[in-house]
Amino acid sequence: MNMLEVQNVTKAFGSLVAVSDVTLHVAPGEMRAVIGPNGAGKTTFFNLISGFFPPTSGRIVFDGKDVTTEPAYRRVATGMARTFQITEIFPELTVRENVNIAAEVALGYRLKPWLSAQQAAGVKARVDEVMELTGLESKARRLVGELSHGDQRVAEIAMSLALSPRLLLLDEPTAGMGEQETEEITQLVRRLHKENNYSIVLIEHDMQIVFHLADRITVLDQGHLLAEGTPEEIANNEAVQAAYLGKTE
Amino acid sequence: MTPTIDRSKYVTLGVIWLLLLTMPYWLPMVGGYMALGTRVVIMGLAAMSLNFLLGFTGVLSFGHAAFFGLGAYGTGLALKYFTHSTPLALVLGVLLGGIAGAVLGALIVRRRGVYFAMVTIAFGQVFYFIAFRWNSLTGGDDGLRGFERQPIDFGVWQADILHRPILFYYFVLLLFAIGTGAMGFLLRSPFGRTLLAIRENERRARFLGVPIEQHIWLSFSLSCFFVALAGGMYALLNNFADPTMLNYTQSGEIVIMIVLGGIRSFWGPLIGAAIFVVLQDYLSSLTTNWMSFLGTIFVLMVLFFPRGVLGLNWTEMFRSVLGRSRQTRPQEGGNLS
Amino acid sequence: MTDLILYNVSNGLIIGAFYVLMALGLSLILNLSGVINFAHGGFLALGGYFAYTLAPYIGFWGALLVSPLLVALLGLILERTMIHRLYGRDPLYSLLLTFGLAFIFEDVTRAVWGATGLPFTVPDFLTKPLSSQFFFVTGYRLFMIAVVAIAVGGLFLFLRFSRLGVRIRAGTFDLDTVSTLGVNVKMLRSFNFALGIFLAGLAGVLAGGQLSLEPTMGANLLMPSFVAIIVGGVGSLPGTLLGGLLIGVAAGLTAVFWPAASDAVIYVMMAVVLLLRPRGLLGEEGLLT
Repeated sequence: MNMLEVQNVTKAFGSLVAVSDVTLHVAPGEMRAVIGPNGAGKTTFFNLISGFFPPTSGRIVFDGKDVTTEPAYRRVATGMARTFQITEIFPELTVRENVNIAAEVALGYRLKPWLSAQQAAGVKARVDEVMELTGLESKARRLVGELSHGDQRVAEIAMSLALSPRLLLLDEPTAGMGEQETEEITQLVRRLHKENNYSIVLIEHDMQIVFHLADRITVLDQGHLLAEGTPEEIANNEAVQAAYLGKTE
Repeated sequence: MTPTIDRSKYVTLGVIWLLLLTMPYWLPMVGGYMALGTRVVIMGLAAMSLNFLLGFTGVLSFGHAAFFGLGAYGTGLALKYFTHSTPLALVLGVLLGGIAGAVLGALIVRRRGVYFAMVTIAFGQVFYFIAFRWNSLTGGDDGLRGFERQPIDFGVWQADILHRPILFYYFVLLLFAIGTGAMGFLLRSPFGRTLLAIRENERRARFLGVPIEQHIWLSFSLSCFFVALAGGMYALLNNFADPTMLNYTQSGEIVIMIVLGGIRSFWGPLIGAAIFVVLQDYLSSLTTNWMSFLGTIFVLMVLFFPRGVLGLNWTEMFRSVLGRSRQTRPQEGGNLS
Repeated sequence: MTDLILYNVSNGLIIGAFYVLMALGLSLILNLSGVINFAHGGFLALGGYFAYTLAPYIGFWGALLVSPLLVALLGLILERTMIHRLYGRDPLYSLLLTFGLAFIFEDVTRAVWGATGLPFTVPDFLTKPLSSQFFFVTGYRLFMIAVVAIAVGGLFLFLRFSRLGVRIRAGTFDLDTVSTLGVNVKMLRSFNFALGIFLAGLAGVLAGGQLSLEPTMGANLLMPSFVAIIVGGVGSLPGTLLGGLLIGVAAGLTAVFWPAASDAVIYVMMAVVLLLRPRGLLGEEGLLT
């Protein structure tokens, strides 16, 4: 069974059709990249998957369950976590507090006025695990708003991981970063995929990263599905080349 | 949280409670009187209750006077018509204000920012007009009279809070302690942390799996319950409730208390309330044009000290006076939405 | 009974016209600058009092024009010196600032002109009833409706066809884009603020002739104006127009059957609208919500 099945989704804002009849299947443990020129509808597509808004038509099935009309917070509960193109964090809280909130919500404690010692230990264990996995331990007590752009990105990914998701949606994780930071994030994403076996859907601008990381690539152009295949197939696809050459990146 | 911050927190807490507990003894020495001190504590609770929503959830209600006033009228009416038990009357007042808040909250919880503020102002006025117009029940424009807080009977000992202002002060302080204790406890809980998360970044909170509307509604309702408690005590203090307690100008005053003290601070609103109440008392005894002074304070406050007295970096100011300086982290008090 | 109803509907329309002038000004400022102007009622009262003071020298007609302009000038000065600093900040701060200004206005007005109501005399030919059967249809009422209609019509034409007006409307939806197109957003907002205040001043002069001049006359119109904006839909000026008239008539009608509830009925309307159509009657989803 597929982890994620997006079936013929369309999203129209008034007369503007941002995503048109796109289908996408992601297998468990797969790393899928979604690419396309600016304005191809990548982020809208992501917003549809994560439940930012419902599609105009089409179906979204996650882990065998139809989530088309589920609000965002329930999709998170079923195991879907996302990051944003412009980093979304809690700037005035520390790194650890950021991750801690995610862990508590994920463990179902969001309405609790207190935690038992056992529950608190469970939260702590999960936070510790994520902090170690992302290498943020040394910055745990700093305010996220003070961190470098790259570290804020990592913190955002750490929050997503604290949700124990089965599917990670990463919207341009290396956007606006220097070479060093890009490399670190790329390593982290690769580790999450290879060693921790996360299913990942990734929007990415940097072609080198995409062709390096992804198992399969989906290309969107002007809201339509242009092509899908392995990195090699995509590299040799004429329609893709035309789309990219036609619109200079 | 680093240990040093924790220590300074305990010191602050110790100083605040020491001052509050000994207030009846030092207040007359600085020219105050018991009812003024009681009013400070009550308005402090009102401001801290609203700040639970404003400062710690990031949602601006400009209509909390309605729930403050409902608490007052509920308590007063209960004493006048149903019961001779002060605590029971208070409970009824709190329920009236809190439940009204919860119902209204459900209606408006999807609105945000300026819109939310406008809707709360406008709905708050409904209760004002009810109190103003329903002469036969509420006394209309003249206010609700004809009730008195009743002594509390503990069996072996009767606390005569009516004739002994100092006892009433400690009664108020006890309820203040319960109210603020409950809020402080909630803010340190997983639920409280989701509220901070919403304040910090609503979108992120939503995509961590927090149903935003539900949590804002809870925060709004809780805040209304606590502010109604303050209102109920206010009615007991004066043995009187009047419609202006429900008016939006009263809401504005509670908000300015918060901003005066410091919006990001738990205890700041208490300090803001103290400044405001004392100033209002002093100015209105001094001049009939106290509204102008108050208005001027609002304006200067917003333009020059938007972070309030606790938001000012006192440590840094002392250091610079002493000629030493240290890099401290920037605090952003400006943007809550 | 029919007379009574007609009388109250006409009353409602008059009151609604005040709401409309007041709420349109509030809406203009809210839409472009995100500021809820609590001092709007204070400006309205000032408009009335200025006219009262000026009329002996420049006559009613002169005062009708000059007084709103003076009030608008005052608004412009306050916007330039204080309010503009708070654009883009949390709405809390502009709310509190204008709230403080409202306090000051009310107090100053009371200090200068006194707390008791002052009569504001309008030209004789406007006060005579036009019909003996419908005694309430005075010339002044028709005149007032005409002035409001001209002002509102002029405003909508201005926003629709003048370059400045088009920019104000565009700025309501997307200020960033407007500013990247080379429009001076600072000037635009100042002008827009003054325009909104002008409408309040005009409403003040008209109200002076109908009600009587009191320091709190504007503050009393403020809340219904909020309701008008919410009922009509935040962000929509036609909505504000519709909302103002609707709640005016509703309040007037309620006064016939249940006078005590005439204040509260508009809030009930607001609750119903928010339940059934959260964005307001003519509002667009997503704007300022």
